[in-house]
Amino acid sequence: MDFIVESLRTAFALILSLDGEVFNTVGTSLTISSMAIFFATLISVPIGIVIALNQFSGKTFCLTILNTLMALPTVVVGLVVYGFLSRQGPLGQFGLLFTPAAMVIGQIILATPIVTNYTLAAVVGSDPRILPTAQTLGAGPLTGVMVLVKEIRFGIMAALIAGFGRIIAEVGVAMMLGGNIRGYTRTMTTAIALETSKGEFAFGLALGMILLSVALAINIFLNFLQQRSR
Amino acid sequence: MKELYRLEQLRYRYDKQQRYALDIESLSFEAGHLYSLHGANGSGKSTLLNCLALLLTPQSGELYFRQRRVQRGWFSLPRLRRHITLVHQSPYLFDGCVSDNLRMALRLKGICSNQTQQTIDRALESVGLGDFHQRNARELSGGEQKRVAIARALALQPKVLLLDEPTANMDKYSVERLEQLICTLPDQGITVIIASHDLTQAQRLNSRIIELESGRLLSTDDMGLKEEAYA
Repeated sequence: MDFIVESLRTAFALILSLDGEVFNTVGTSLTISSMAIFFATLISVPIGIVIALNQFSGKTFCLTILNTLMALPTVVVGLVVYGFLSRQGPLGQFGLLFTPAAMVIGQIILATPIVTNYTLAAVVGSDPRILPTAQTLGAGPLTGVMVLVKEIRFGIMAALIAGFGRIIAEVGVAMMLGGNIRGYTRTMTTAIALETSKGEFAFGLALGMILLSVALAINIFLNFLQQRSR
Repeated sequence: MKELYRLEQLRYRYDKQQRYALDIESLSFEAGHLYSLHGANGSGKSTLLNCLALLLTPQSGELYFRQRRVQRGWFSLPRLRRHITLVHQSPYLFDGCVSDNLRMALRLKGICSNQTQQTIDRALESVGLGDFHQRNARELSGGEQKRVAIARALALQPKVLLLDEPTANMDKYSVERLEQLICTLPDQGITVIIASHDLTQAQRLNSRIIELESGRLLSTDDMGLKEEAYA
């Protein structure tokens, strides 16, 4: 028990002393995951809306695939993207492996099915009168969809939060595509894994607490936005 | 009088339904008039309104609007819809206050001018909600929400106003006020088509009555129906 208490004390001290190593790692994590969720949103929200609003053959199959992809193992994504980005791979010439860009690509792949599925669920569960009302008030096809997005914005925000939660907490992609390079591609999760294996439990614990704090801060922010709109 | 709508062998069937919800051989509406669609539940009144609002695509038949055949295109329908506004039986109000709802509608139709606030004030005043600007639209009663939806439609100054059970859930005073307002609309060049159970309302509005039954046109003989209703 003393070990845990002592580690906690050291972890707090690291956070409060604004330890450069800790905050560099946190910054890398937040930057990479924020970029990934930004691009994943640009891809996933339109896809989710199109699938939800249209009837087409193979829709059920499409939904099954999307549901399956939600549980995509991070190491499998890491492995496949590694194959593409490695020197012998089709995209090897770009030299992206073990760079933040590679991690962003991997995290986009991880987040896309989640954001798509949550967006789809938000549209399907939305009030069916929204689009006809917008149309009868003069909205064209695109403006009608924009009205729909505005009305279900909290559902879409929940999709982004879920996607962000998934990628900021993953290890497989960050480790395989980033390589855990100190000060460059080292994220909170890869640092926790590495430092703990080196016996630096307090350092890992400090990062773990920050990771939890990030999740808490995001949820508080979401709640704040919801309260403000009411 | 100028023909506004013409329907020829128009049929509409909802998904997985055996019978047609609407099956009309021939029907036309003239511009600048007030019409009442009358019939029991399931007679096709709302379906007809949705077809006239160009929100539903009939499986067969032709619909002519302002003497032109309606083309079901990605861009042509929104262009035609700009002349028509439908107020649903249970209207959807956007998130925000009453004024936001009207402002949003004006923005959707591309009406943005320095007259916007006056247009909003006038529309709300006309339905007796002049002091409701800042009230949360979703927290109003059913009747008030319907009046907001009607004000929102009127603010757009449509050529055709389609009203689905406009006075349902309204108190007597509000019904009278709304009926007085509706009566003045044809003089402003607005064609009004109302779906209603209440045949007495059709007489009060001095409207042309179209009787529907099981999706079929029963009669357009307004005088005959009125006399029968009050016999």
